[in-house]
Amino acid sequence: MASTGKTLLLILSIFIAVSLIDSVIKKKEDSLNDKVQQLMEWNNKKSVIKLNGDKFKQYLKTSPRNYSVILMLTALQPQRQCSVCKQANDEYQILANSWRQANDEYQILANSWRYSQQYANRLFFAMVDYDDGPDVFSSMKINTAPVFMHFPPKGKPKKGDTLDIHRVGFAAEQIAKWVGERTDIQIRVFRPPNYSGTLALALLFALVGGLLYLKRNNLEFLYNKTFWGVGSLFIIFAMTSGQMWNHIRGPPVMHKNPQTGQINYIHGSSQGQFIAETYIVFILNAAVVAGFVLLNEANNQKGDAGKKKVLSLVGLGCVAIFFSLLLSVFRSKYQGYPYSSNHTRCFNIPTCNSVIRKNSFFIRTVTEWNELDNHQVLSRTVEGFRFSLKRD
Amino acid sequence: MADAGTKAEIRSNMWKPGGWQSLLTFVILTLAWLVGFSSRLFAVIRFESIIHEFDPWFNYRSTHYMVENGFYNFLNWFDDRAWYPLGRIVGGTVYPGLMVTSGTIHWVLHALHIPVHIRDICVFLAPIFSGLTALACYFFTKEIWSPGAGLFAACFIAIVPGYISRSVAGSYDNEGIAIFALMFTYYLWIKAVKTGSMNWAIFTALSYFYMVSAWGGYVFIINLIPLHVFVLLLMGRYSQRIFIAYTTFFIVGLILSMQIPFVGFQPIKTSEHMASAGVFALLIAYAVIKYVQSFLTKAEFKYFFLCAVAGSAAIIFCAVVGLTWAGYIHPWSGRFYSLYDTGYAKIHIPIIASVSEHQPTTWVSFFFDLHILVCAFPAGVWYCVKQINDERVFVILYAIFASYFAGVMVRLMLTLTPIVCVLASIAFSRTFEIYLKDDAPKSQSKVEEEEPPDSKNDRLYDKVGKTKKTKEERPKDQDTLGMNIKTIVVIALLMMLMLFAVHCTWVTSSAYSSPSIVLASYNHDGSRTILDDFREAYFWLRQNTDDKARVMSWWDYGYQIAGMGNKTTLVDNNTWNNSHIALVGKAMSSNETEAYKIMRMLDVDYVLVIFGGVIGYSGDDINKFLWMVRIAEGEHPKDIKESDYFTPQGEFRVDSGGSQTLLNCLMYKLSYYRFGELQLDFRSPPGFDRTRGVEIGNKNFDLTHLEEAYTSEHWLVRIYRVKDLDNRVKVTDPVIPKPKRKKPSKKTSRKKMGSIKNKPKIIKGKKPSKTGRK
Repeated sequence: MASTGKTLLLILSIFIAVSLIDSVIKKKEDSLNDKVQQLMEWNNKKSVIKLNGDKFKQYLKTSPRNYSVILMLTALQPQRQCSVCKQANDEYQILANSWRQANDEYQILANSWRYSQQYANRLFFAMVDYDDGPDVFSSMKINTAPVFMHFPPKGKPKKGDTLDIHRVGFAAEQIAKWVGERTDIQIRVFRPPNYSGTLALALLFALVGGLLYLKRNNLEFLYNKTFWGVGSLFIIFAMTSGQMWNHIRGPPVMHKNPQTGQINYIHGSSQGQFIAETYIVFILNAAVVAGFVLLNEANNQKGDAGKKKVLSLVGLGCVAIFFSLLLSVFRSKYQGYPYSSNHTRCFNIPTCNSVIRKNSFFIRTVTEWNELDNHQVLSRTVEGFRFSLKRD
Repeated sequence: MADAGTKAEIRSNMWKPGGWQSLLTFVILTLAWLVGFSSRLFAVIRFESIIHEFDPWFNYRSTHYMVENGFYNFLNWFDDRAWYPLGRIVGGTVYPGLMVTSGTIHWVLHALHIPVHIRDICVFLAPIFSGLTALACYFFTKEIWSPGAGLFAACFIAIVPGYISRSVAGSYDNEGIAIFALMFTYYLWIKAVKTGSMNWAIFTALSYFYMVSAWGGYVFIINLIPLHVFVLLLMGRYSQRIFIAYTTFFIVGLILSMQIPFVGFQPIKTSEHMASAGVFALLIAYAVIKYVQSFLTKAEFKYFFLCAVAGSAAIIFCAVVGLTWAGYIHPWSGRFYSLYDTGYAKIHIPIIASVSEHQPTTWVSFFFDLHILVCAFPAGVWYCVKQINDERVFVILYAIFASYFAGVMVRLMLTLTPIVCVLASIAFSRTFEIYLKDDAPKSQSKVEEEEPPDSKNDRLYDKVGKTKKTKEERPKDQDTLGMNIKTIVVIALLMMLMLFAVHCTWVTSSAYSSPSIVLASYNHDGSRTILDDFREAYFWLRQNTDDKARVMSWWDYGYQIAGMGNKTTLVDNNTWNNSHIALVGKAMSSNETEAYKIMRMLDVDYVLVIFGGVIGYSGDDINKFLWMVRIAEGEHPKDIKESDYFTPQGEFRVDSGGSQTLLNCLMYKLSYYRFGELQLDFRSPPGFDRTRGVEIGNKNFDLTHLEEAYTSEHWLVRIYRVKDLDNRVKVTDPVIPKPKRKKPSKKTSRKKMGSIKNKPKIIKGKKPSKTGRK
């Protein structure tokens, strides 16, 4: 009896335990289902789910999850002055949209609601704005924006779950690739066709067409050579001042040194350029050409000789001054142009007619100094300098 | 008396401006040629007469083959030493113009019993052709503007760095002769348009044929000339001359261009050539309409015109769509497509994006290559627009399109350079014509210029009349611009041109005259050390390896290994097979075991890497390594991931902080094998990489499947031999010894009961402490 009672008790306890566990699991499942339901609901409204601090904790930090979340931490409020964030946001929207679009297509293709439901549940796109949930930023120890993170279904985000923006950038294709790496879900990016370019072109054509139509009785301006000349010169100046490089590479307008607040308009190296710099070059080129034209037009002017003289001198001045300006901008990018020196701290020896000081201590020292290598000259300590001298 | 008479005659002949003019022209052109030739010799004088860089080595090798085996064998040449195991049909995949040109020169010289080695012809071909380019530029500008401007243009093109960059002695490449062919074709085309004679048009087509045989850039001609015709039609400048010139040129040019095996049926299949066919049809239609118009009434003509336009537009549209759909017309090929959609190559074709020649152009490179010409040539455009005629339309279109293309791709600066020289010469010669005209001989020459229109008067009056005329003009001249101002302007402009000449010499000597096979470094006392590692290593390959040995290297060195080492390569600079390159990239970026599988698969005998860490050479394989990874990732995205080669912070570093994947990949190991034992100087630790400026992260490793075969003097080139498979597979895991230990053995004092180190202390009723468990 005792043994049967014991077994009964055991069975009962096991049953209770199992049911308890079951209910816990059910509860968990319920909460999971609720969460997924909620997320799906939000996702139906908006492709990117906006989260604040509490929701972040509830949906991303607490554990029963069977979905991955790609989270963008950003600062979109204008007072945060994060222009990159805005740009990144656009790309992200594209990605999220394309994900949904891909999902839709997948639904049609598979024609299986259940399967597509599973498929859709696996990944959500979410974002946290700094002003909505600063606690999120502090809890993740993030002090830059934007940051893209992947929250896997199990466990915490690991090392590779943060997108390396500095290296790959945040183009939608790159994020999609990264998402594919982390979650094995390949997303094809559907960019909404960029109508702005087409629209601008259509507008331009409409404008030109309209203008031609309005002026159809007087098409003289089409034969205006100045008009065509200015147009073709404009294209040429745009190309020779490197606007195409700007278009492809997208450099900053100028560079502001954060420490000193000094603004650089000219890129220091010959490999790069700023947008402001190309405009400067554009204007300098145009000014030199204007000078050449003035030089030639001076002779064709009808009028008194004085005016002609002034015109030609102005033309010459334009050519000489603006060309030398251009040359100096160029020189600032090529150190030591047009003479190559061994190092950056050379001294100039002025030329003179007499040889009286030719072998003086200073002149000899300077010549010897100028012959050193760059790494020797730049030694930080006297010891290092002495050492490098001995070595060579 | 008779003597005095002849003297006077001679004197009058001496002062005949025409004679002086042609003598001056001749002298100036000869000087331009000489200067152009000699300023391209920096590399030969500093080093020796060698072929430069990469592509020229292939050109040299095939020229050599052609000279040895004859032209027809060359056309049928199947090169089994490249792209192992695929091979390459050389005859059908090269533009043979370059080889044929130097082969012809070689043949002529040998027929005259002047024994010159083919290598010297190859080395000096480009400088010689630069002189011909100067001549072509002179004639072109003469047709466009004036002989004076032509002389300027010849001088500019002879020394301008934008052209020198591709035509220094030793850079034996297609562009060297193609720019001459380009300018000469344009000159003949202008001549054909001007005269409207079929003769000139046929010459144009022949010159075009030469261009097609020489360089892929012929597409530029076959698009620019139709564009010229099209714009002339739009401007209402249609004439019989244009009709004859274009139709003749198009038909003959089309047939001739299809004779080149490499071009084949492309001219009627690809979109790049469609514009020319379209303009041809349009021109014929326009001529037909003109003809019909001559005998129809206005109402009838209107009806006919509408029908014809609608019908032909529909037919052409259907035909183009149908042919494209059926696959007869190919869409734009990648390289050309990237010219129009500028973001295309960056995303889709990493191998194009990896080549620095295909990058967009900064304003600095425009200025670097053209100096003052870049500011002066728009003025030339301005005058061409202001005084427009049929030919100048061509020049303007050329300038606009070439500057666009040069902006997209650095490499196309080469096509922009000639037109910049032409237009800048127009700007300069116009200015000089005005400001040099003050003194007496110049006013005389002005009379000379005026001569042709009133040549009738010339017959009626004798020379006295002429001098009268100049006397009449002189006072006019003087009230225009003062002598002083003119002198100032002229001197200032001359100073600028002097600056230009200095700049050209500087750029040529410092930037464009390095053969990149032989490196030079300068010591602090000005003496020079020559690093001849490349040739040393290639010569070692040639002498010490089996004739059929296959060498794996990154594609940059394929042509050099074939040309200098005479060994079989897997990939080379003719990057026609991306997946093969990706396979090599994968081998380089995998770890040794994985790489060994690939190398066994590809029958690799030797692996060659370029390593600059000892001398601080920045163009080595480690610096190119990311491109290998990217290209490999493009084909094998599952095995190779670019992000694995970066630190978590996204840095590419080879020191101890670098990613483990990078520190264990084949390229790293081959570059740094035993480098950790080398201490370069006392200040730096052993294994200090001078190029990257860091101490390397993974020093003591051994190679299992490869062994070092050769390392050049400055470690620049390192060659490894791939070991054969082992006879006996070594068992690395000690599976069997375990039970042996359990055998009972004699208990010595040392082998008593063992004790476990850090044995956890277990006390009943207490959990083992954490430290214990660890």
